[in-house]
Amino acid sequence: MAVRPVTQTEIDAVFGGVADIIADALAREPAEVRPQSRLIADLGAESIDFLDIVFRLEQAFRVRIARGQILEDARGELSEDEFHRDGVLTAAGLARLREVLDEVPAEAFAPGLRIDDVPLLFTVETFCKVVVRAAPARAGAP
Amino acid sequence: MSGDRSPPARRRVLITGIGLVTPLGLDAPATWGALLAGTSGIDVVRSFDASGFPVRIGAEVKGFDDTRVERGLRRYATRQHRFALAAAAEALRDAGVAPTPETAAHWACIVGAGMMGVEFADLAAFQRRAAPEGVLRPDRVAEPASAVAFARNQPTAGLALLVRRFGIQGRAAAMHTACASGGQALGAAMRLIRHGTADCALAGGFDAMLNPIGLAGFCLLGALSADNHDPPRASRPFDRSRNGFVLGEGAGFLVLEAADVARRRGARAYAELAGDGNALSSYRITDSHPSGRGPIEAMRHALADANEPPEAVDYLNAHGTSTPMNDRSECAAVRAVLGAQAARLAVSSTKSLMGHLIAAAGAVEAAICALAIRDGVAPASANLRQPDPDCHLPFVTGAPQRRPIRVALSNAFGFGGSNNCLVLRAAPAA
Repeated sequence: MAVRPVTQTEIDAVFGGVADIIADALAREPAEVRPQSRLIADLGAESIDFLDIVFRLEQAFRVRIARGQILEDARGELSEDEFHRDGVLTAAGLARLREVLDEVPAEAFAPGLRIDDVPLLFTVETFCKVVVRAAPARAGAP
Repeated sequence: MSGDRSPPARRRVLITGIGLVTPLGLDAPATWGALLAGTSGIDVVRSFDASGFPVRIGAEVKGFDDTRVERGLRRYATRQHRFALAAAAEALRDAGVAPTPETAAHWACIVGAGMMGVEFADLAAFQRRAAPEGVLRPDRVAEPASAVAFARNQPTAGLALLVRRFGIQGRAAAMHTACASGGQALGAAMRLIRHGTADCALAGGFDAMLNPIGLAGFCLLGALSADNHDPPRASRPFDRSRNGFVLGEGAGFLVLEAADVARRRGARAYAELAGDGNALSSYRITDSHPSGRGPIEAMRHALADANEPPEAVDYLNAHGTSTPMNDRSECAAVRAVLGAQAARLAVSSTKSLMGHLIAAAGAVEAAICALAIRDGVAPASANLRQPDPDCHLPFVTGAPQRRPIRVALSNAFGFGGSNNCLVLRAAPAA
């Protein structure tokens, strides 16, 4: 796998903090923010909100999250051309993305998926994993 | 009622909806009712600790419910934007019309946007983060921060929220001409409809400068009344003892429709928005020209635009800020323009009760003219106990004056020398 696996325990350890931040950033009730909630389709996020959410996660968990981290993790050692062409993910790119976003249902990774549309797949659990992977070797929030 | 006086084939523009969020009330009926009752919206400032300021009074919007703003938009909207969204929503509900996918491209949104781009709380947060000891730290500035906070403090943010919230896809623009902004926004929207660029418009103004920096700024200019001991009397336009304006906040929005469009759907109209006149004083940063020449031109142009002679004017809602300079030069201008009619019309400044709403003032006060025409009543100019001899006009004092109002003028003059006058007229018979 291109990135290190994340355990359910690690996800559970950060979920509360991540969900609170996402709920606050998107003006949602905490009850609406579930692990499978998609940030855009279910919670009404826009691209500007992603910037805010990443900033707040960095502050709260004292980690560094690069912009486009998820796509970078998926691309791994593939070249840009091997990962996507004319804005569309290649078969190899799609397979790598599916590994990294293993919390997203398989049907979402249809051929023809545009790289600009990848954020549509992100769920709250996706961001839990981003936080865990960005954290120091030990799991858990400060 | 006189016949159609407009040049042949010129599209007439009707006011079909009004929405207001003001220091007098949280909607149009409440504001109008309080105005006619002579209730003052001016009090000690309560929304922040102003105890150290030379001026500690203002006209705050009281008890505004943030849930009036759609939840999904709230984080993108600062206080002034929330006022705007609420007032605009009321205006559209009142008009009984809204942009649809079929009509959206024929709607315009023209606003007088608030003078302070940056919400004080966001500015304070920035200072704490990036200049904690008062000196800007380049390393801190470059750190990631709230992109949403940055976006909501752009001068364009209010307009963007309005067009998005109401699905307007025709034309949108914001005026930044200080206290003339709200009036100029209405005039510009009227012209777009006349010209055929739009059929309908959501036009208005919004502002929320009652915060430490806004209040401090106007204090520095010496423009505000420091009558902290008697807030309801502090704003006394045209009075001999007047000593400055009172800073207010709020929003006013009107729905404007081409008369043929409004009639087709059986809309009810408050009044016709009949004329718009603008002139520049090009004089000084804050002083008004003593001869009143900018306001004179603005009023003359507005009347000419509306095809109304001076003797037709029944009511003037004056700019009347309660500053020594404005009130004197405005009265000189009114006498120069209206001649004999200057002794016969009714005049009042509603800033006497609601303070100065800055970028929202011109829009709110035009709405008040529309209500005055509808109800045949001119609101009083409060706190006028001893008129300044230089301000010699027939002011409405004490109770509101019941009289038919066919033609009304609304003045809005801004720092930097922008002067706007709008003419409203009783809606022509269908």
